[in-house]
Amino acid sequence: MSASVQTLVSQPYKYGFTTDIEADAIPRGLSEDVVRMISAKKNEPAFMLEFRLKAYRKWLTMKEPAWPNVKYPPIDYQNIVYYSAPKTQPKKLGSLDEVDPTMLETFEKLGIPLSEQKRLANVAVDAIFDSVSIATTYKEKLAESGVIFCSISEALQEHPDLVEKYLGTVIPIGDNYFAALNSAVFSDGSFVYIPKDTKCPMDLSTYFRINNGDSGQFERTLIVAESGSSVTYLEGCTAPMYDSNQLHAAIVELVAMDDASINYSTVQNWYAGDENGKGGIYNFVTKRGLCAGRNSKISWTQVETGSAITWKYPSCVLVGDNSVGEFYSVALTNNMQQADTGTKMVHVGKNTRSTIISKGISAANSKNSYRGLVKIGPKAIGARNYSQCDSMLIGDTSSANTFPYIQVQNSTAQVEHEASTSKIGEDQLFYFAQRGISPEDAVSMIISGFCRDVFNKLPMEFAAEADKLLALKLENTVG
Amino acid sequence: MTSSVSEVSVLGTANQRDAYLKGLAQTVQAAVPENLGLEEVRSRAASFLNEQTFPSTRQEDWRFTDLSAMLAIDFATAGEFSVTEADIAELRLPETAGAQVVVVNGRVNRELSQLGGLPEGAVVGSLGDRSELQSQLSDRLTQASGSHEVFTALNTVGFQDAVVVWLPRNLVVETPLQIIYLSQAGEKPLVAQPRCLVVAESGSALTLVEDFWGDSTAAHFTNAVTELWLDANAQVSHSRIEREGAGTFHIGKTVVTQARDSQYIGVAAGFGAKLARHNWEIYQTGEQTTTKIYGLGAISATQHADTHSLVALSHPHGMVEQEHKAIVDGKAHSVFNGRMAVAQKAQLTNASQLNRNLLLSDTARVDTKPQLEIVADNVKCAHGATVSQLQSDEIFYLQSRGISAPQAQRLLIYAFAMEILEKIPVETLRSRLAEAIVQWT
Repeated sequence: MSASVQTLVSQPYKYGFTTDIEADAIPRGLSEDVVRMISAKKNEPAFMLEFRLKAYRKWLTMKEPAWPNVKYPPIDYQNIVYYSAPKTQPKKLGSLDEVDPTMLETFEKLGIPLSEQKRLANVAVDAIFDSVSIATTYKEKLAESGVIFCSISEALQEHPDLVEKYLGTVIPIGDNYFAALNSAVFSDGSFVYIPKDTKCPMDLSTYFRINNGDSGQFERTLIVAESGSSVTYLEGCTAPMYDSNQLHAAIVELVAMDDASINYSTVQNWYAGDENGKGGIYNFVTKRGLCAGRNSKISWTQVETGSAITWKYPSCVLVGDNSVGEFYSVALTNNMQQADTGTKMVHVGKNTRSTIISKGISAANSKNSYRGLVKIGPKAIGARNYSQCDSMLIGDTSSANTFPYIQVQNSTAQVEHEASTSKIGEDQLFYFAQRGISPEDAVSMIISGFCRDVFNKLPMEFAAEADKLLALKLENTVG
Repeated sequence: MTSSVSEVSVLGTANQRDAYLKGLAQTVQAAVPENLGLEEVRSRAASFLNEQTFPSTRQEDWRFTDLSAMLAIDFATAGEFSVTEADIAELRLPETAGAQVVVVNGRVNRELSQLGGLPEGAVVGSLGDRSELQSQLSDRLTQASGSHEVFTALNTVGFQDAVVVWLPRNLVVETPLQIIYLSQAGEKPLVAQPRCLVVAESGSALTLVEDFWGDSTAAHFTNAVTELWLDANAQVSHSRIEREGAGTFHIGKTVVTQARDSQYIGVAAGFGAKLARHNWEIYQTGEQTTTKIYGLGAISATQHADTHSLVALSHPHGMVEQEHKAIVDGKAHSVFNGRMAVAQKAQLTNASQLNRNLLLSDTARVDTKPQLEIVADNVKCAHGATVSQLQSDEIFYLQSRGISAPQAQRLLIYAFAMEILEKIPVETLRSRLAEAIVQWT
């Protein structure tokens, strides 16, 4: 049986096709001129260029972090195309009919229909193709309730004051190496603004697609929830199969004011490379939410199944009194994938609470690390944290690591951390076999049970998709 | 250059730390007696040390323990000290009568040591008296994994004497062995480097108590290294008590190398020192070993206590149980980093780790990192960590039974500490430490 465990994995990556589309790309390499060019191409206000140049100059003085538990050859930052956009795109899209049909087809193939009649019921989608946003659906309907949902380039044109007020406030330009790089060259992303006392009438979603084999994707998402508002946001991503590695260095910033709540869910399925570790996306992402107001809440849910390397720590800075941070994560690594992921919960305000549930599954030769920080500041009276990170190992060559940092400076705080490691036991599979359930089904059931705490937090459609995704990813791993 | 000006003004620049370590190494090297031999291991350690720098908080291993206060102190090595029975009488345990070694500032004191109660065959004493063991020693002394670490290397290049404990095959020593390490202050701040080697050959058994003690508030630096080798089936129970003086920087290393079927039970309790760091490393070199380690720290005022433990499993069927507790009061700062590394070969490992911290004041601080690194798939590993103050409902419960709130608090702290202290196998030591906890609260 153990041989068949290993053979269950090799489900081909079905999003690995490329779209043959003429692209308007700038030459490879990074310099001040390139930063200026990107800013000019997007016709940005002056403060933006200033922001980018400051970030670029900061980036030059920084070093790539060496502490993550991942290995990769040095990245040649001069060999990356920092801007790539489909050429045929008209300046401003009146309706979806004007979008290049090849592009619509691409998204159709990915299961994200953009055309109005077919689109997912009650989910507004912003579709991002390489460096630009292609289309945003349901914009008008959202505008009726005052919600702004558009690409960040569009926001820079139409709401520059809002962007200027919040951009870089949660993740400063010099936060880390990849954040600085992103701040200098980011091309597009989504911008969401939920006005006061508004419950966003539908779920918002962004779909990211890397198409160009030489380009990196540097998107930037900014979500601002004014006091009393709430929003649910979903993010999905895929990329074609290339032998080379592409860099994806994104930033997501969330700001929640008094009584606001933001739910941010990610299903990450970038191309992970082949079984020998050739190709795949380097997913180096900085995500952070600021609970600025009292009683605010930010919840991160992530299902990480793709990417050759994942390096990401969706974090919550709990400044407002009684604010709540949550992190639910399933990270699956297979073949040669490496993941160093987790969260940071920084408790600043009084009675702040955080919950961390992390489930890591590592199969074949992959490496899966949970790295988390729970920090209770001296003024966080009555702060409370509960962390649980469980790992499951499939096959004896994969590894699971946990690096939980706990820093407490207040005696009224209560911090609990629990972790465990296990495997799918022969006896469990035997038990299923007795009841006529094949090993494949048994494994998929066990894993879906293992991840249940997290999947329960995903919006319905996503949860079903995530379950299926994990089953596919792990096909032929167990036996 | 403008940049160098600003760098120099900060205490502990890279250059300063380099120079400090080199100076310290020269100081301790100059005090090495000639008759000890071991030139080869010393020169190897010296060349390793030459490439090292004095740790700063920029290194992950020292992130929460700042040693820069040491940089301002010029430590000298200690010569002979006259110590009388009165100085150590209180520390002698009745259970260990006839099995006591007294070490003063890193040198074995032959007059005060009492070794009459040991069975025949057991070798216990100063390295200087054991020239016949030289050839065997070189296979063990300084050979443990983890010796390539800056303070261990510093000890290796400069220890002035070492306590050697060598048990032949199948020798079971009934009397617990006590080693008293006394830190005596001189006119100048002193550096002492106690060294201990314990070899338990296959089938032998030993109960060992290491007691680090000092009562001076003067600046002092203790850099201790203890290596324990447990051959197949050997059993060692080890208690390490640290009660150094309030001005002392105590950096200690305990390395345990366990062969198949061996059993190591260790208890480390730390109460004293201005800054204490204990690196506790256990390496498994054979199947089916049992390791149980328990730690307790009780600190207050501006004390700093740091325990870094590593259990490295590389063979099947290992069993590890670890529990580390800290009670932190005043402005004290407690650090725990517990690493368990389970290699691919270490299938069927059963490991658990628990770290519990009790914060008694608003200015106390705890940094903890229980760390699991697992490559084997057929293992059971769990760890947990908690940080909190005393539970108000527990205090209320005791109050409802007529116990005053302060008394209830003392009772709960005592119970918290005793869960670790009761693992100490020597009765008198256990009750003395329990008494110390009562005094402390």
